[in-house]
Amino acid sequence: MPFLFEEATTPQGKPLLRILARGEVTLADAEALGARIEPGARNHRWRILSVVEKGTEYSSAARKYFPNLQPMYGAIAVFVTSPIVRAAINMMMRLTGQAPNLRLFSTEEEGLAWLDALEI
Amino acid sequence: MSLTISHARIHELLNVLVTAGSGDYDVRVRLEENEDALLDVEMGINYLLDELIDRRDQNEAQEEELLTRARQLARQQEELVQALSTPVIVVWPGVLALPLVGRIDDARAATITSALLERVTAEQATHVILDLTGVAAIAGATMPALLRMVRAIGLLGARCLLTGIRPEVAPQIVELGGDDLHVRALAQLSDALALVLADKGVLDQPHR
Repeated sequence: MPFLFEEATTPQGKPLLRILARGEVTLADAEALGARIEPGARNHRWRILSVVEKGTEYSSAARKYFPNLQPMYGAIAVFVTSPIVRAAINMMMRLTGQAPNLRLFSTEEEGLAWLDALEI
Repeated sequence: MSLTISHARIHELLNVLVTAGSGDYDVRVRLEENEDALLDVEMGINYLLDELIDRRDQNEAQEEELLTRARQLARQQEELVQALSTPVIVVWPGVLALPLVGRIDDARAATITSALLERVTAEQATHVILDLTGVAAIAGATMPALLRMVRAIGLLGARCLLTGIRPEVAPQIVELGGDDLHVRALAQLSDALALVLADKGVLDQPHR
């Protein structure tokens, strides 16, 4: 699975869904995330830290699905080091319009600090 | 903000654009881990090409769906036309009437003859009334087809009557050899029915 899910807490003890992304992310993977955060699901409106590895790619169908998730999460901090993956996420955000409460970070600590500072 | 870009990357971008412009959307910009704004452009072009492929696939699927639907409609229309072109009516037990409408070519004549002969056999018909009221003109191929139909009916032991021959059609029938048929021609379908019923002794019965 390109998405590995793990429930954790932020440094300040707030519930956190940690996602490790790698490989080719398909529509099925994106829908699996949707199932975890949809209304009524356990991780609905949680803070999310997404660690995206170098070489991760997003299928066209997955890219089109992601905007559906916007009202389902509290905030997403994306930790990405690969310029190519960063460009991919930037382009997805441009193509789908506004992605509120989603921000890219080059260290995990920065992302977690941002998530902790947010009022959700 | 200035940006230094290698000729190789520009060349690569142009190659991809030219290839895509010629209709090959499978081409992609080779991406490298460059920390610059052009990488976003390269990624954008690749995503655009993905989108073009998606749209092309959708169009092809829709086109196939439309073609299938068109073929279905054409088949249904053909079946309907065939059903409407041979409206054989049982006007009395053993008496069939077939109003002919429009142009009758070899193919249609063959269909009509086949359907009519089936009904003649099934109904054990003694008389067949071919009504030509709806035939405005006899085309070259219509008369021979009509002749074959009348002869085939005769071979099954039924008598054929022609009705509704228009004044402008009568000379055409003669010209095309139709008067050799030795079939009874009457003005109207009702005249033919009256003649048949008299033949059968039905019309006289109420007066006896």
